[in-house]
Amino acid sequence: MKNKSAYPVVVLVLLLSGMLLVSFKNATSYVKKAFPYKKEGLTERQAAAHLLSRFTYGAKPGQVDEVVKMGLENWFAQQLAANQPEDRVEQLLAGYNSLRMTNEQIARTYPKGGQLLKMAIRDGAIAKDAVKKEKENRAEYRKALQAYMLQNNYKLQNELNRELQNQKILRATYSQNQLQEVLTSFWFNHFNVSLSDNDCARFIVTYERDVIRPNALGNFETILLATAQSPAMLTYLDNFMSAAPTDASSAEQERREQRMRQQLRRQQPGLSPVQQKQVMERVQKARKEQGLNENYAREIMELHTLGVDGGYTQQDVTQAARVLTGWTIFPGLNGNTINRKEQAANSNGNSAYFARQGFVREGDFLFAANRHDKGEKVVMGTRFPAGGGYEEGVKLINMLAKHPATARFISSKLAVRFVSDNPSKSLIDKMAKTFTKTDGDIRQVLLTMVSSPEFWSKEALREKTKSPFELAISSVRSLNAEVTNPAPLAFWIAKMGEKMYAYQAPTGFPDKGQFWINTGSLLSRMNFGLALVSRRIPGVQLDLAALHQNREPESAEHALRIYSNYLLPERNLDETVQRLTPLVNDPEYSTKVNNAASKLAPDQEDQLMEEEEVMLMNRKGKERQARKKTAARQEQASNGQDMMLAQVVGIIIGSPEFQRR
Amino acid sequence: MTSRRGFLKSGALALFAAGLGGVPNFLAQAAGSSKILSPYKKNKVLVTIFQRGAMDGLMAVTPFTDEYLQKARPGLFMSAARSAANPLIDLDGRFGLHPAMEAFAPLFREKRLAIVHGVGSPNKTRSHFDAQDYMEAGTPFRKGTSSGWLNRAVGLLGHEAATPFQAVSLTSSLPKSFYGDHPAVAISNLQEFAIQMRGNARAANAAANSFEDLYDQTSSTLLNRTGKESFEALKMLQKTDVKNYKPANNARYPNSPLGNSLKQIAQLIKMDVGLEVAFAETGGWDTHYNQGTAQGTFARNVTDLSQSVLAFWTDLEAYQDEVTLMTMTEFGRTVKQNGSNGTDHGRGSCMFVLGNDVHGGLVHGQVPTLAIENLEDGRDLPVTTDFRSVFSEVAGRHLQIEQANVLFPDWKGNGIGVMGRV
Repeated sequence: MKNKSAYPVVVLVLLLSGMLLVSFKNATSYVKKAFPYKKEGLTERQAAAHLLSRFTYGAKPGQVDEVVKMGLENWFAQQLAANQPEDRVEQLLAGYNSLRMTNEQIARTYPKGGQLLKMAIRDGAIAKDAVKKEKENRAEYRKALQAYMLQNNYKLQNELNRELQNQKILRATYSQNQLQEVLTSFWFNHFNVSLSDNDCARFIVTYERDVIRPNALGNFETILLATAQSPAMLTYLDNFMSAAPTDASSAEQERREQRMRQQLRRQQPGLSPVQQKQVMERVQKARKEQGLNENYAREIMELHTLGVDGGYTQQDVTQAARVLTGWTIFPGLNGNTINRKEQAANSNGNSAYFARQGFVREGDFLFAANRHDKGEKVVMGTRFPAGGGYEEGVKLINMLAKHPATARFISSKLAVRFVSDNPSKSLIDKMAKTFTKTDGDIRQVLLTMVSSPEFWSKEALREKTKSPFELAISSVRSLNAEVTNPAPLAFWIAKMGEKMYAYQAPTGFPDKGQFWINTGSLLSRMNFGLALVSRRIPGVQLDLAALHQNREPESAEHALRIYSNYLLPERNLDETVQRLTPLVNDPEYSTKVNNAASKLAPDQEDQLMEEEEVMLMNRKGKERQARKKTAARQEQASNGQDMMLAQVVGIIIGSPEFQRR
Repeated sequence: MTSRRGFLKSGALALFAAGLGGVPNFLAQAAGSSKILSPYKKNKVLVTIFQRGAMDGLMAVTPFTDEYLQKARPGLFMSAARSAANPLIDLDGRFGLHPAMEAFAPLFREKRLAIVHGVGSPNKTRSHFDAQDYMEAGTPFRKGTSSGWLNRAVGLLGHEAATPFQAVSLTSSLPKSFYGDHPAVAISNLQEFAIQMRGNARAANAAANSFEDLYDQTSSTLLNRTGKESFEALKMLQKTDVKNYKPANNARYPNSPLGNSLKQIAQLIKMDVGLEVAFAETGGWDTHYNQGTAQGTFARNVTDLSQSVLAFWTDLEAYQDEVTLMTMTEFGRTVKQNGSNGTDHGRGSCMFVLGNDVHGGLVHGQVPTLAIENLEDGRDLPVTTDFRSVFSEVAGRHLQIEQANVLFPDWKGNGIGVMGRV
């Protein structure tokens, strides 16, 4: 009896403690001891503000209080767990269809510009010479093309790119899992791919969604392998075309050349244009297929793992490139069916046979065994015996991920991102040690960083310069503004020097103040502040009075202090306030601003809009919205006090203090 | 740092301050009397134009005596015969300039303009992205190069930037050519180089004063220094009426992106704000469809290119000794026309170099007879001159840069004699 009745109790206790353990793990298991900010002379509130400035896209009003209440360590643990509900983000992104598509669906829905035209001509939707007459029949031609697109559910590639950029802005602004977003951006930039590469561009949505974000707080080797197998990276750094070098003197090669020549000779005017083109493409493809491409092998070592001084040689790059031959994109995705063998690897009947041949398919990734260099390789002293296949590449990636130079290089990049442009050696050493000990557990490395005094030192405070993206989003967040259309913000971010997802070089944007700050970009930052608060950035709505619960500030100086505190919580604002006080106290000033504002007719202002802004606005429906907003703006402008407040807030956004985090 | 600040304080700015403020047509004055006004050695200026999309060099400068070309391009080939409707402009009995580029003809005859034909990259890629990337980085086999060749050129000038306008790109963002450690700025429109309050000049002024004050006080060296430079630069530009600029000699710039870019480069040169390396770009050269002949897409493009350059050169008459202009494009196009009256991605193209110390009036480089066996990969005008050979010679000679190994790290070739006044 006794035993029997004890059972449920034991089960219940076990269950409860199990639940407790789970929640404990989610919340605090990562953070075992208090952050050492007190020793560095920071108050808890200052420390919270510092934490928020480094691991979010800017503190929201009241967020410092929240973090203090919750406990800094708990807040950080919650961010590491990255499991806060994202209802708002999901709701805002509901209409962004491309975000839920596969690469194949994206390729089908968003044909490249030239391709779209070709298809429309092929399908008889527009006459071939319509392109020529475009000038004369622009409207008609456009209409036909639009109808064709609508009918086939084709969309412009620009729309895809816009959805990509917009979602980044919305996530950064509204996500509850800020650290995850910040790290997604960090890893994207570390493993950079670019919209400027037209072939790579349409793989970027899935790259960020499936490769980067889910692994941003995970394990380094996992994310490294995932990038290596992603269509975006395979295209961007050319590995998709890298194949075993063919022996130039081989009989096969000679036959191939022979065939090429014959084909070319046969290219008499008798061939149809389409046939001619096919021949040309085949010749080109045949050339492309030969040989090794070292681009990716070099960058995985130099930029993704070991770092430029990581101790590898050119010989190692070539050897690693040979190891990675055959790592390519699954055929058909890119319109780049590589050859019959690879295509056959797809068809179900043959898949067992091709698996035996060593082909490996993983989603959109294909290991094409027939293109793999089966000879022996030696990379940095590690031997890859002859006859290997897919597993060689995995072994190489494992080796690179575990290399001590990688631990240092990744730790150093993280420290540059989160601590200072020139992090101390002692900090990097500690982080690298954790990296090695935990086999590249990114959470643990971050934790070591935040638990180090270097993170909290006076030298690190406000040391980082905000990127244009960070500047824009932190302005929006700290003013509790709503982003109804992110595109104009993206335009401004580009104008300030950060064309999102479009940094051309594989290095990613340099993560240092010197890169972001130059004479031109600094002026753009100041203008951004002024434009934002005077509501000249359509798609961002803000209400300065509501921010302060519609309470009227006692004086201009009081207002200055209140709003500085929203924008720059826990900073020493004496200097800023002192500098700006004469401005707000100038009796003439508010009249000046007021008069000028009321003189500004809406039409005139629209004319003054940047060309791109107008373009953005010109899309249907937006125009009406714009007119309404201009009216609202005028109403607002009639209140001199508000204009003045707006201008002061704009100046704070453009001020040196707000450029720092 | 002191030298840089010192120069600004004592030099250019002092000049602006000393009685020139408010001169409505500052440019006209500066243009007329710059040598007297400026006690400093005039800067040499290298102006580069990137033709994105790959210009068909064989149509721009046609080897018109080549029967193979005529056969390969039944719909595109143009004749130089006087009797033809729109004949090519015969340059030397072998090469003919596209008739829409007649603006270039006098420059060529005066031996100011040189053409280099069969120029391109040793890397055979026919991807726009890769080829532009390689050309702008100056390293045809390395994607990871973090700096652009023009940025490295700035580093080799041997003196610090005197002003923020040492290297200016007339683009909305920095081109790869300008990536790197040396200061370079992208400005798409000089008029935007100001604190903007949309028609509210007084409020803008007040805001500018506040900003200047705040940046003057900040503890961040980077923000402090750059802030000062920004406001100095802004004041430099404010002294001139950028908006109502009147080009000299009635030069007429086409109202095109390239025309506007070159016009603004000319303004910067005349303002004497320390410009040494400038970059502009032009698009639309990827002529797969209906390339056209005497009229059409290509003709429109070369009209714009040649008229923009001619206007620039005319406008800068007083500065021509200081300026060299060079065009570049990532590759050429197929010898044979394709099925849609256009051309596909090829290899060699041609480039134009303009300046008073250019070995002009000549088509440099080698263009073989375009028989199939002479073509690269059986289809393209072969690359007979490495682009680095021209770039390093032009930049090296004009800007007096040595150390070609820094400019183009993996390259040991020589120039081809495109520079040197004859």
